[in-house]
Amino acid sequence: MTNQDKKDVHSVTPQVIIDFLKNTIPFNELDEDSLMKVAQNCTIDFFPKGTMIFKQDETEVEYLYIIQKGGVKIYLKDEEGMVTLKDFRGEGSYIGALPIIQGTRANLNVETVEDTFCFLLKKEIFLELIEDNPKFAQYYLKSFSEKFLRTAYQELRQHRVAPRTEGTLYMFSVHVGDLVKSEPKTIAATDSIQLAATRMAEYHIGSLLVTDEQGEVIGIVTDKDLRTKVVAQGRPVSEPVANIMASPVEKISSHKVCFDALLTMMTKQIHHLAVERQNKIIGVITSHDIMVLQGSSPLYLFREIVSQRSIDGLYPLSQKVPLIVRTLIEEGAKPNNITRMITILNDHILDKLLSLMIEKYGTPPVPFCWLLMGSEGRKEQTFRTDQDNAILYQDPENPRKKEEAQEYFSAFGKEAIEHLVKCGYPRCPGDIMASNPKWCQPYSVWESYFDEWILRPEPKQVMHAAIFFDFRPGFGKLDLGVRLRDHLTDIAKRQEIFLLHLAKNCLESRPPLTFFRNFIVEKDGEHKNRLDIKKRGLVPFVDFARLLSLKFGIKETNTVERLRLLYEAEHISKELYTETVEAYEFQMQIRFVHQLRMMEEGLQPDNYINPSDLTDLEKQTLKEAFAVISRLQAIIKDMFPLI
Amino acid sequence: MGLLQLLTTFFKKKRHPVLEDNHFYFQDFDQDRPLNEYEFVVYDSELTGLNPRKDEIVSLGAVRIRDLKIIPQENFYCFVKPRGDLPKDSTLIHRITPEQIQNAPPIQEVLEDFVRFCNGGLIVGHYIDLDMAFINKVTKRYLGGPLANPCIDTLRLAQLYKEEEWGNYYDQFNYNVSYNLADLAAEYGLPEFEEHDALGDAFQTAYLFLFLIRKLKKGGITTLKELYLAGRSWRWLF
Repeated sequence: MTNQDKKDVHSVTPQVIIDFLKNTIPFNELDEDSLMKVAQNCTIDFFPKGTMIFKQDETEVEYLYIIQKGGVKIYLKDEEGMVTLKDFRGEGSYIGALPIIQGTRANLNVETVEDTFCFLLKKEIFLELIEDNPKFAQYYLKSFSEKFLRTAYQELRQHRVAPRTEGTLYMFSVHVGDLVKSEPKTIAATDSIQLAATRMAEYHIGSLLVTDEQGEVIGIVTDKDLRTKVVAQGRPVSEPVANIMASPVEKISSHKVCFDALLTMMTKQIHHLAVERQNKIIGVITSHDIMVLQGSSPLYLFREIVSQRSIDGLYPLSQKVPLIVRTLIEEGAKPNNITRMITILNDHILDKLLSLMIEKYGTPPVPFCWLLMGSEGRKEQTFRTDQDNAILYQDPENPRKKEEAQEYFSAFGKEAIEHLVKCGYPRCPGDIMASNPKWCQPYSVWESYFDEWILRPEPKQVMHAAIFFDFRPGFGKLDLGVRLRDHLTDIAKRQEIFLLHLAKNCLESRPPLTFFRNFIVEKDGEHKNRLDIKKRGLVPFVDFARLLSLKFGIKETNTVERLRLLYEAEHISKELYTETVEAYEFQMQIRFVHQLRMMEEGLQPDNYINPSDLTDLEKQTLKEAFAVISRLQAIIKDMFPLI
Repeated sequence: MGLLQLLTTFFKKKRHPVLEDNHFYFQDFDQDRPLNEYEFVVYDSELTGLNPRKDEIVSLGAVRIRDLKIIPQENFYCFVKPRGDLPKDSTLIHRITPEQIQNAPPIQEVLEDFVRFCNGGLIVGHYIDLDMAFINKVTKRYLGGPLANPCIDTLRLAQLYKEEEWGNYYDQFNYNVSYNLADLAAEYGLPEFEEHDALGDAFQTAYLFLFLIRKLKKGGITTLKELYLAGRSWRWLF
């Protein structure tokens, strides 16, 4: 029935295939004649999502399949039926080359994960091309080995397992319990300081746990205590150790990884941690133990910050944060750990800066609390996050004090912001900063702000105020901030109208993906064809966690922590919790890698991802992450049926 | 009955041999075979206007589907010179200019080849009734009768698929849907072709057709008959 044999004058070259192949490696290596030959010997087939194209060891492969649109997953199934995922392939990728070249049946299972259109090239033609075009052939031969290598790396990243090479990778794999070398050395609370010093010298250790009459651990004494509390103060060595011990002991459970120990130490500014297993202390680890494991450590930067004596000296330190983050990413740290680490480092810089400023300005007329908002408030800073901060001070008792306080904090706030800018934290475009008089206010005014937002919500205001609901006390008299948080937690959960506005806000952003490879990207402007991963991908998760936390009276601000608390209080299911955290962290990871790359190229980091920079596997995972957003929105719709 | 048939045969214009072939093939048409055993010719034409009485074809495009695969090199594509003028407003749509068709053959010179290309296949098109009205007008004039090919309309299939989707879709009251070929292609994520080019649209329709017959009834349509039956249930809607 074909008219082709008659050389039909009204038939034209199938341009669709030629155009596509010209942009597809390795077909772009072919000359016009070969390309024409390919085009004349291709057919086009459609496989709905979920179609098995190849069945391992069964399918006779008659064609090379070139994916025009859609995507497939490739996997192995062993005798026990265990499935190992090998790869995802998308547009421009091929399947079937290896079996054709080796003359075997399909060696893997191939199943479409999207509605997929393929060009089917007859295997004889494919083999001819390989024979005639060395460059073309090379691609397939080379890619077999490289592809497997790349896949291996992708899988590592996917499961976030630290690569097992020598050296620097212990932070996230070694458990705290593994660092404990010996039984804990103890001393009775009533024993003398001198006996403690003798025993420490005897064991060559820097700390002893202090026990009561029942043998329970009640405190710890370290060589630093001997220096600062005994020698420096001229305290008699005959006094009982109980007088100089730190109590209670900071503990960490033995199954935590070293990274957690490091975070605890840095947060609490201590160097010793008691390791606990099933409520029993099994030993003590020190920051030194961890540093021995870790070549270049965040601890060094941490030390540099703490030991700084001048404000100018702080300026260059925040620039070093990215260096540390790079190591952390390479070692496979979870994004939430990385942001927590960045937050701790930034908090220390802030702490040091404000302390030095207070030395200069003198004690403030009334106690105050430095509030951190937005991503800083959620402990989710990446690189160079904009400043979002405010000052909350105690209500002055009389008008004179009030004036004094206004004057002091206004100048203090303005200068602090300038210093922070010099440290490399850009100004907030919305002017939510302590230098803005509106956001530098006594407690009663702050309370009235929140009352206004919560009790008389205007849709626009609610949106505007969202970042305020993520505040956390950052420096100074933290109680003030805690009190404000208690207040708002208490009233917010009962205000249905306010929550409804927030919920509505959550439903406004549409999940960014419909088809494989078909991201919704920015349509115009300088970010054309890129995906704003923050706005489209991350914000819906943050909004969801905030809304539910306010509804259920949870005071935490960190998104992952909020989700954990929601799950523990059984407001969300375990599956949803796991899925949400995984989806959120994966996107954070993509964003980190993107921003790090930009910074290493000397660019200002932003949130615009170019989908073509992602591997198929990353795209697929990202797509699954976006799918979770629809689920979150469905839950919100359920919870707030009035929307 | 026999007499009537005899009379009509007698008084009818003599059919061109290529049209005889065309009719012969569909005399005993068996609808019960699996879909992949049929050949389909996906057809689109560009016109000077929408009125079959006075408007004419300016371009024909068609591509073959065999074994439910598009055979892109088996295509038919040509411009034709209409007898009348090429109205300006139609040029604005298909961008075919009077110069382009100046040296094109008149329809009667390509018609025989075109019918030969269609012979044996079911004709598939998007809003195919319109294209058939135009092509049958010229086959009647020049070849002595209309084409006998059964036709399948992808627009109707798309409506059917939409209705199927709506059954378990919360947006089912959104009547703001478009059945425009390009809009459907975008909605279903099909590779996209140049619009208002007869061959481009034929390819686009071919992709849409493959998509729909595999997606309808969750892939449960196996024979041609089932495809027709599937299309019947919604007729009351229109």
